[in-house]
Amino acid sequence: MTAVTPLQAELAELLTRRRAVDTDPTVREQCTRLAGGNDRLSPAEQIEIYREQFWLRHTSCLLEDFEALASILGQSDWERLIEDYLSAHPPTAYNLRDLGERLPAFVERASWLPRHALCTDMARVEWAYIEVFDAADAAPLDPQRLASVPEAAWEHARLVLNPALRLLRVRHPVAALRRSFRLKQPDVVLPEAHAENLVIYRGQERDLHHRVLGDDAFSLLDALSQGLPLVRAAEIAVARAPDRAESIERDLTGWFADFAAQAWIVGVEI
Amino acid sequence: MTPRLGLPDLGVGVGLRVPHYRHILDTRPAVDFFEVISENFMLPGGKPRYHLSAVRETYRVVQHGVSLGIGNPTAPADDYLRSLRELVRETKTPWVSDHLCWTGVPGVNLHDLLPLPYTDEVVEKVSERAKRVQDTLGVRLLLENTSSYMTHTSSTMPEWEFVSAIAEAADIGLLFDVNNVYVSAYNHGFDPSEYVRNVPHERIVQIHLAGHDNLGKYIIDTHGGHVVDPVWELYRETIELTGAVSTLIEWDDRIPDFPVLAAEAERARRIRDEALTARAPGSPRPSRPRMGVPVPSARVTERRGWAQGGPREHDGDAP
Repeated sequence: MTAVTPLQAELAELLTRRRAVDTDPTVREQCTRLAGGNDRLSPAEQIEIYREQFWLRHTSCLLEDFEALASILGQSDWERLIEDYLSAHPPTAYNLRDLGERLPAFVERASWLPRHALCTDMARVEWAYIEVFDAADAAPLDPQRLASVPEAAWEHARLVLNPALRLLRVRHPVAALRRSFRLKQPDVVLPEAHAENLVIYRGQERDLHHRVLGDDAFSLLDALSQGLPLVRAAEIAVARAPDRAESIERDLTGWFADFAAQAWIVGVEI
Repeated sequence: MTPRLGLPDLGVGVGLRVPHYRHILDTRPAVDFFEVISENFMLPGGKPRYHLSAVRETYRVVQHGVSLGIGNPTAPADDYLRSLRELVRETKTPWVSDHLCWTGVPGVNLHDLLPLPYTDEVVEKVSERAKRVQDTLGVRLLLENTSSYMTHTSSTMPEWEFVSAIAEAADIGLLFDVNNVYVSAYNHGFDPSEYVRNVPHERIVQIHLAGHDNLGKYIIDTHGGHVVDPVWELYRETIELTGAVSTLIEWDDRIPDFPVLAAEAERARRIRDEALTARAPGSPRPSRPRMGVPVPSARVTERRGWAQGGPREHDGDAP
């Protein structure tokens, strides 16, 4: 602990305050102890420049990353949500990219939000896009590698999914809604509840996409994402929809080929 | 001491910013070097890493960071330094720069470049840390003088003395931001020429130039416009004292089309060449008057937020 450390702690507390520091006489006095001021700016006004920027910088970053959520909420509720969020979870990571990491869970707990379920879905989807955008690169599955897997090994073989892929079950068609907001389409109507299985992924050209999958294909992919072998994953998909066992077995090869073609599957571990 | 600590003069470059990626990769314009914001590329993959790699096929790249927090209460985190070192190895940057400032306290990263108190205690603490960071990274560390909007009542020395003491004690280089000198001179009422004349010129490895927003009572270092005339003059004065130093134009807000940025770099090159001619042996030594304390301006711009390093890259979500 050095003399500068308590000073920095005191300044950090002032800079993260939600309201201006140059209006409260007690705080003004505190600022005078810390900052020199000059003939144009009081000590509190000097510190206020930094405090204001703390909020502008972080709220504008969250607005960039959660543009559709903000569009659903409108100015007033968005500002309240974000101020609450930054107060509860001040930025800690060195990179602004991670600023919104805890926002989806925070939105889920913010039951005062209008269209709460829709907002929760949207926050999860927007964060998934951030994660997928700069996730690690992976080469598509090598067909020769696939062909080299012995027949007997498939029972225990695990398929490696692309790191730039996220699976979400949502209660609203939020991926399409997000796109409408991002394209600045006029008169966007907020959708009613309609469950979807979303795959958010980065294509080989490095652009981001989403696809809505049927329940059974999604169950299979979801089980694979948990590291289960293909055979076991297929069993789980069937167990979830026993009445469709026949069609699942029939479609399995096609789904697998599709997942590989999209580079959602990038490796096999025996 | 070898000028610029034996590091090369790269000429005149510009900051690599997202809105220019397409233009740069399609047309490969003539630029001596690009400076990249380290943190924007300390990521596992995707477009940021792809674009960096594509730019590096043609251009020299130097790394500049905004999150080292050399003056924070705690030392830079190991995982941060590890990621930074990995990027250094990949880009082969001849040096790594960041700011002489603090950026947060345990539990809160303010993501700002906050001024430190100019005291012997801070000189000792920061120089020890800077030495260790330089050793860890395996390349020369440069620290940049920041713009500031407040002064500490606890400071006991002028900023140029503080900056010089740390550079000497840590045996590091300086990234000398001429615009920041002018901004702080305006905000705190000192003569920028005094600053320029009283730093160790042989340790200046790189120079930054940028525009700012003059709000009348104070200037904000927005990097949001053309370099202003007094800063060009201060740059000329700096080059006359340092010799040929790699110079970079930063433009992070209201980013113009690339040709506007390139023209600003060309202006820097012209002034740099003139200043180098003026300091050449046999040339009459210019007797330059001190600039004097900048006078508050009546021409002001609207108050707004600012960002260091320009916008982050986002997804080009295919419709």
